[in-house]
Amino acid sequence: MRKISAVFLGSVLSLVALQMMESQTTAAITPESPCLMEGARGDGPKGQKVVCAEIQGKKIWVPRGGDLVVAISQDPGSLNPAATTAGAVHTASELMFNGLVELDDKLNPVPELAESWTVNKKATIYTFKLRREVKWHDGQPFTSADVKFTFDEVLLKYHSRTRASMLSALATIYTPNSHTVEFIFKESYGPLLLQLDVTEAPILPAHIYRGSDPTKNPTNLAPVGTGPFKFGSYARGSEIVLNRNSNYFRKGKPYLDRVIMRVIPNSATQVASFESGSVDFLWGVPGPDRARLLAQKKAFDTLITRRNPGGANCMMTVSFNLRRPITSNLAVRQAIFHSLNRNAFLQNVIFGEGSVAVSPFSKGIVWAWGRNLKLPEYNTTKANALLDSAGWTGRDGSIRTAQQVVGVANGSKLSIDFLHFPTFATYGELYKAQLKEVGIDVRLRPLESGPFATAVFNNRDFDSNIISYCNGNDPEIGIRRMYDSAQIGPVAFSNAAAYTNVLVDSTFQQARNTLDISKRQSLYQEIQEQLVKDVPYGWLVETKSTRIFTSRCGGFRPYSLFAEEAYCIN
Amino acid sequence: MLKYVLRRLIQVVPTVFGVTLITFVLVHLAPGDPVEVLASGNGDAAYYQFMRAKYRLDDSLLTQLWTYSTNVLRGDFGTSYLTGESVVRMIMPRIGSTLLLAISSIVISTLVGLKFGILAAWRANRFLDRAVLRTSVLVAAAPSFWIAQVMLLLFALRLGIFPTDGRNSPGFEGTGLAMAIDTLWHLVLPMSVLAIQESSTIARLTRTGIVDQLDDDHIRLARAKGLGDLHVVLRHALRRSLTSVVTVIGSRIGHVFSGAVVVELIFGWPGLGQLILSSSQSRDTPVLLGVLVLIAAAVVLMNLLTDLSYMIIDPRVRLR
Repeated sequence: MRKISAVFLGSVLSLVALQMMESQTTAAITPESPCLMEGARGDGPKGQKVVCAEIQGKKIWVPRGGDLVVAISQDPGSLNPAATTAGAVHTASELMFNGLVELDDKLNPVPELAESWTVNKKATIYTFKLRREVKWHDGQPFTSADVKFTFDEVLLKYHSRTRASMLSALATIYTPNSHTVEFIFKESYGPLLLQLDVTEAPILPAHIYRGSDPTKNPTNLAPVGTGPFKFGSYARGSEIVLNRNSNYFRKGKPYLDRVIMRVIPNSATQVASFESGSVDFLWGVPGPDRARLLAQKKAFDTLITRRNPGGANCMMTVSFNLRRPITSNLAVRQAIFHSLNRNAFLQNVIFGEGSVAVSPFSKGIVWAWGRNLKLPEYNTTKANALLDSAGWTGRDGSIRTAQQVVGVANGSKLSIDFLHFPTFATYGELYKAQLKEVGIDVRLRPLESGPFATAVFNNRDFDSNIISYCNGNDPEIGIRRMYDSAQIGPVAFSNAAAYTNVLVDSTFQQARNTLDISKRQSLYQEIQEQLVKDVPYGWLVETKSTRIFTSRCGGFRPYSLFAEEAYCIN
Repeated sequence: MLKYVLRRLIQVVPTVFGVTLITFVLVHLAPGDPVEVLASGNGDAAYYQFMRAKYRLDDSLLTQLWTYSTNVLRGDFGTSYLTGESVVRMIMPRIGSTLLLAISSIVISTLVGLKFGILAAWRANRFLDRAVLRTSVLVAAAPSFWIAQVMLLLFALRLGIFPTDGRNSPGFEGTGLAMAIDTLWHLVLPMSVLAIQESSTIARLTRTGIVDQLDDDHIRLARAKGLGDLHVVLRHALRRSLTSVVTVIGSRIGHVFSGAVVVELIFGWPGLGQLILSSSQSRDTPVLLGVLVLIAAAVVLMNLLTDLSYMIIDPRVRLR
């Protein structure tokens, strides 16, 4: 009797279990609900196929198929991300390519085209084992020759960021066999793993580009990559259609059939297209529109990130010209910093889309930003006292005048200029208003980016200015240029302040030659402590971008290959 | 007649070449550096040097001008700094879009403009006339970007009758008739914005031209013969005032192209206007010059066509 009931119970249980599995595979499944077996398939409510997938650590039912329409503001013209750092090109083309590694949300390198890597103790030789199963979109196998070719002939010549940081340090790239690549450096080189993702170093097919000028190869308009999406079509000025790569090396991905990049230059039209439903995804939305869209919570979802295809971890930074008599005075620079209410910049200029800077380095570089630093706080009393002590005197509310200030005639007014792009006009207005409170007169000089760069970096014709310095993934790539005395000169967006400090220079070099992250961290901490003492720049606010997308879609990543795991419910 | 056309056609070459020279100098005198755009906020001195050498940007302006003009005479407009593609190949696919927008708006605005102009003249100084005049002044005074935004918000977003952007629906794969209908549906709003402003000018001109003649002897004669008002206006007054209207239509082609920059920007219409805007923002000189030269040639040719059309409208005109 007992045996029979055990058998009975057993069969009932297995029936129930079967029933449960059935319900997961055949009956209608609600997309985005949790699932068990990765790769299992079923039907969604409207007959759309759904697959069980792991998205950002969670196993959920994900709809397969469908289109995602993405608005882009510029016609990229070229779809070769290795030959440029231009944001428009990267936005439109990265999904068709891969890097050797990928950077996760904390900027840790994880395998992409490379399945594993080793670094020697001195950090002079990096050895990468490449995935063997990767194929180019035209069916050719991906090999180490592609990596060597892309670096030697394209990235180290035309990718301005990778070239600037790596060319002088790299001795050679060696390919012992078709699935191994060695990067051999002249001296220890720490940051390499952070500059091999699809943004910094997308890999191109050597068999197509060899022997041609990579900036003029016709394949730039119909690229062949290894990425999750293949090139479909490109209608100039209208749209770029990417089709699903069914042979992608990450099996099962991507989930969308097509990604359509639609060129809509005017941001107001982008918002209108999004609201009308013809566009599913916006990279960013102007402040006032954002508030209005966010009020309709149900229809839209958002993703806030510091990383953009054109540059990551950007900080709005005021540069002081250290070669002008007024701004070369430390007390004056500190006073200006004390008179800036940076929270007002955050709220009124960028509508809260970011944060007040807490250290010279962006907090986005999670291991490198300076801890426990005391940036000059908003305090006009301190600012007034500092200006008095520097010899700039004046009655309340009036513009201060010089009394025995070195390099300035007695009685001359405390008046400085402020150069800014026309798009940053509101920063200028607030800067002017806040500095007036402590008796500093500001003359605003709006300049388009070309003339701006000439005035600031070639002619050094400014007292102060504002620049969005993108700090990048590693201080060596995006930050060193701001402080290195070797980078004062005619290059746009280098050391605008003309800051010179031998100790800082050598510490930067030391950090570059170090592999160990905690050692590098302490070196960068030292640098930032010095920078806060010297105040060559005013670190205002860190900016973030808000991606807005229809709530039918999900699975977007805040960084490279943003739509690799994206899905849309029909 | 043939001689005249030939002579005018030969004149087109030096005119366009002169425009090219002036544009070349102006574009190169404007501040900004294409390499800085390519570097997009990155790069070191070596990168700048390398790219400047690659595109021969350090040659003197005179050398660059010589190279450019000799190349242009051979039909080579150079390659884009930004995309590395030949300028001709970048411009070609966009000509169709801009022509579609320009021609359709000129045709519609001429029809609408003439109609309202005639109606106003027919009812001169009465309610209809005043209404047409006032509306046309209002429309002519409103900036086209404003009209475009209002129409976008009203007809595309609020009412949802027309699409917000582009020449075709996202990912559109239809061909033939389906394609034509989809394009037409996308054309309506941008075309209307351009046509509204053009038609207001044409309406006012037509109305004034006709009204000016209503006291002339030949009109009195026609009236004395007992012909109706409308018949007099259409048959006798309109024809004589057409020359000035045609002149305006001809000279508006330049306006349509420049107006198209704004309209193409707002409606994401993939024409030459967008290319002018993006190439000037990125200091992509060869592309910018290529488009401007093309537009200069179009304006000059249009002037020739206008002059020729006088002969048809007014038999008294003889071209020599």
